[in-house]
Amino acid sequence: MTHEAQSGRLSGLPANPSLTETRSTWRLDARGPVAPLWNLLTSMRSAMVVMLAMAILGLVGTLVIQVPPGIAADPAAKADWLAGVRPRYGAWTDVLDRLQLFSVFGSIWFRGLVALLASGLIACMIRRAPRLWHLATQPRVTVGDGFFAHARQHDEIVVRGDAADLTTRVVGVFGRRRHRVLVEDDGAVNFYADRFRWAPFGSLIGHLGIVVILAGAIVGSVLGFRDNTFMIAEGSTAAVPSGEGLSIKLVSFEDAYYADTGAPADYASDLVLYQDGAEVLRHTARVNDPLRYGDFSFYQSFYGAAALISVTDANAAVLYSDGVSLAWATAEDDRRLGTFTIRSEDMAVWIVGTFGGDDPLVKPGQVRVETYRAGTGDPIDQKTIDQGLATEVSGLTFTFGRELQFTGLSVSRDPGAIFVWIGSLLLIGGFTIGFLFPHRRVWGRLVLRSEGVGTLSVAIAGRPGRSVDRSFADLVTDLGAATAGITAT
Amino acid sequence: MEKLSYYAFVAAVIAMGLACLLYLAHALSGLRMSRMQTAGLPVRTGTFGLVAGPRPAAPGRYGSILGWLGFAFLTAWLVFRTLATGHGPFANMHEFAVAFAWGILGAYYYVERAYGQRVLGLLVLPLATGLMLYAATLPSAIEPLVPALQNNLLLTVHVAVAIVAYGSFSIAFGAAMLFLIQPAGSRWGLPEPALLDEIGHKAVVIGFPFLTAVIVLGAIWAEVAWGSYWSWDPKESASLVTWLIYAAYLHARVVRDWAGRRAAVLLLVGFAATLLTYFGNYFFGGLHSYAGLG
Repeated sequence: MTHEAQSGRLSGLPANPSLTETRSTWRLDARGPVAPLWNLLTSMRSAMVVMLAMAILGLVGTLVIQVPPGIAADPAAKADWLAGVRPRYGAWTDVLDRLQLFSVFGSIWFRGLVALLASGLIACMIRRAPRLWHLATQPRVTVGDGFFAHARQHDEIVVRGDAADLTTRVVGVFGRRRHRVLVEDDGAVNFYADRFRWAPFGSLIGHLGIVVILAGAIVGSVLGFRDNTFMIAEGSTAAVPSGEGLSIKLVSFEDAYYADTGAPADYASDLVLYQDGAEVLRHTARVNDPLRYGDFSFYQSFYGAAALISVTDANAAVLYSDGVSLAWATAEDDRRLGTFTIRSEDMAVWIVGTFGGDDPLVKPGQVRVETYRAGTGDPIDQKTIDQGLATEVSGLTFTFGRELQFTGLSVSRDPGAIFVWIGSLLLIGGFTIGFLFPHRRVWGRLVLRSEGVGTLSVAIAGRPGRSVDRSFADLVTDLGAATAGITAT
Repeated sequence: MEKLSYYAFVAAVIAMGLACLLYLAHALSGLRMSRMQTAGLPVRTGTFGLVAGPRPAAPGRYGSILGWLGFAFLTAWLVFRTLATGHGPFANMHEFAVAFAWGILGAYYYVERAYGQRVLGLLVLPLATGLMLYAATLPSAIEPLVPALQNNLLLTVHVAVAIVAYGSFSIAFGAAMLFLIQPAGSRWGLPEPALLDEIGHKAVVIGFPFLTAVIVLGAIWAEVAWGSYWSWDPKESASLVTWLIYAAYLHARVVRDWAGRRAAVLLLVGFAATLLTYFGNYFFGGLHSYAGLG
């Protein structure tokens, strides 16, 4: 916790000896056999070590090429991918793979560290919240003489007058500095003044924010849904995966380019959303402007060529008539291809496009039709057909109507995202408050001797920083002026 | 406007280059002073070495004035360039490099006013000037935005916040360097380690919430443009690494045997991570690669 500086548990700081007793009373401490584990979990040192270990692992994940999502789960694709990076990593490829360093952020190491971090955070909050509460509501007013002698910043002011009057003046000085003042009389008058006593909770809330973000990420990965390969050809309507009666029609897709540089200027999909066949929304989705409906979001992700294909049987009955997205590419010569299935014929059809004017197999204005048995994958027939010309392939009539475009959308439903945003707000807001308004605490002790002369001892806890230093000096000056005394040191 | 911004750029480079020389003269005068001190000649020093004579004030003061002038020119550059492009001038590495230099100078002059430690300028000014010279080698033409960047609000805020964070971390880096070359203090007329530790911490206390905001704003933008608030894009991972290192620093500073020297080392490591995040566009690939040389 960032405000450990004031808790005195970790002793890098000048602890104030007379206060340690109350502190331990108000900290949630474990006893018995779990105590060492609890202490380890809540120690600042372990937090630091876990974060540094995560940073090192994260650095590996930044510098080593990571397996794209989707490929890791498919052994064949994974093997291909590993072969692709082998020239770069050589003999290390298998070592890195064995150590899960090609997917660092999903690795057992990283997950373990995140789990450690989260449990440490929760334990720290549980441990420290009661103490922060106690510190804010019931601070110790009377401290021993030893505290004033040993505090890193302390001063003594010689005062003259009677106790009641001097007390009023001292309280007045603190009041003007917007400090809360508590007074106790045990023969001497003891002062405790503080400012921003709730601000340490800001740091606590900041830490809570991290836990909320992690919770949101878990909710999202367990309950969320994501499909990065949702494709619709122009004029076609496609059912939204796991979309409960939602379907989307792509009216048109436009890709625009800057005339002078040729850089892409705009990708826009004109989309109509249907719920159970009824139109509910029309929106042009762009890269920075997704279509949102309920908790579904549709993002412009990629695009490409499509072909309008219709298939009829011997009786001229239409078996298929739709745009086919040529979203895949052949590995050897980068021809675009797409697929669809005709269930009544148990037939899988691949449509292969051209790669350009010098393509010997498929010329511009043509597509190649390849048919396979859907059940077994056995090839039936292959034929290159011309645009607009009905051609018979494997007993059915195929027509290549015209070239179209398809749009590739990312579909997502992430019920955890809201927690991530709330956690982010807590994180930024909490730390900003915690850092901006450090809890300032001042103790004072007014001892009067019989002849109406006495001393006011003043001290602050914590580390002497320059800004604190200056404000402490100012405070002593103000107190000196108000009590008409002279500073002793 | 584009022409005006170019003039402001050149003027800033000249002012900052001269300021570098004057800060060097200032540091050398401190060195001379500390020699006189060891020779037993009378020298006044105040708390934390704040008031130190008989160091000649002139080079440092003129250095500050020129540095301020450089900062003013850079601010003018920001204004002209923003007017010319319609968004914060952060769309390519040239613009981001100049903006980074602006952030360093801004953070530095805030610290110089608060703590009066001009020796820090000896480290920080060349860093900013170096970034300007680097920016000068990059194509600076204003080009229209590719679709992923077409979000003027988030582009401006996301990167502007990054500049504040990076600027603060540069100051923390400078303070940590000065801390580490004389951990016992009182060497070469440099500021006391306690003060340098304080400056480093202050800089991180400012920079860290800003870095957090950079990452969160980046996540918001990623959600809008790429469809996912986090995709482990290399630049995202690098920014998380940077965040973790500074978070570790904030904790290290109050752990007994880490406070001081090791904490200062973490500030150096953190700044290295900052630079890695910043220059990452060149070698990471990934979703942020559009912002490269173009």
